[in-house]
Amino acid sequence: MTDFSFSEEQRDGLQELVNIAMGLASDKLARYLNTLVHLQVPAIKLVKTDYLPTHFANRYPQQSMTMISLGFFGDHGLRGETIMLYQLANVDTIAKLLGYNNDDSSEAEMLTDISSILTTTFLNGLAEQLENNFSYAAPRILSSRDQHFAEKLASTAKQWQLALQVDIRYQLIDYSFNCDMILLIPGEAVLRLRVILDKILANF
Amino acid sequence: MALTALICDDSLLARNQLKKSLPADFDANIITASNGLEALAMLRTQEVGIVFLDLTMPELDGIGVLEAIKSEGMDCLVIVVSADIQPEMQKRVMDLGALAFIQKPANAAKLTDVMHKYGLI
Repeated sequence: MTDFSFSEEQRDGLQELVNIAMGLASDKLARYLNTLVHLQVPAIKLVKTDYLPTHFANRYPQQSMTMISLGFFGDHGLRGETIMLYQLANVDTIAKLLGYNNDDSSEAEMLTDISSILTTTFLNGLAEQLENNFSYAAPRILSSRDQHFAEKLASTAKQWQLALQVDIRYQLIDYSFNCDMILLIPGEAVLRLRVILDKILANF
Repeated sequence: MALTALICDDSLLARNQLKKSLPADFDANIITASNGLEALAMLRTQEVGIVFLDLTMPELDGIGVLEAIKSEGMDCLVIVVSADIQPEMQKRVMDLGALAFIQKPANAAKLTDVMHKYGLI
């Protein structure tokens, strides 16, 4: 069986690249909302994808949540999918901040906007650090109010061999909201990512 | 006697990147810390001339380090090197007495400019 694990140096390197990408995304969010976003060290962890549905069931017990997934495709076979998970209570907070109305169609619109600020900026920043170029698929929105949410999340996760779990907390001065971001990367892209990381690490 | 320079960042990659981006003619004894508490412990016991300080760190962040340096009246220069590039954050670190703010990953030319400006090289 192929070993998809990361060495401590590779994990540290990736965490730093994620940190730089998060800085860009937070800056964009801060400018958009005209506030200061408190950044924390991104906790990143490589996990098996079959662990994700249970992880999220435990993390959000009896809470309504929405997920937005965005597929990305880079050069040299580097590709994957990001999943952002929001608690619906947090979505209301962001909706108020952005001045959206409280109906379902604009909620979808708003989540797509936020996703583009946070996810696309993040991924563009990450691609730049990796000296790669990403292109994106159209975002998919899935709500826990939809039927078979858990199954859909499980089947999305199952398509990939490894998940890079990035726990992010965006804390604003007057408001606070959490969202989790998961980077899902297929096995061959993990191997590719390791080669790129080793190249970066070898420069220093 | 060569100057002591402290690089404070939780990431080994970031510390190595910064070390490599320092100008070749910067004659200093380089020490490192991986969070703000470690950095303060070093600053309290050693004579450090310049600190290259990250902001987003566990234990104690860069803002906490800047506040301690200010309140304890420590005599060291600080250049902030961070991924947290929000305008409000840059203003905050400058208000706390940092010499300059440099976006990560640190650009060698920018670093040289700033260090030249403050007579470090």
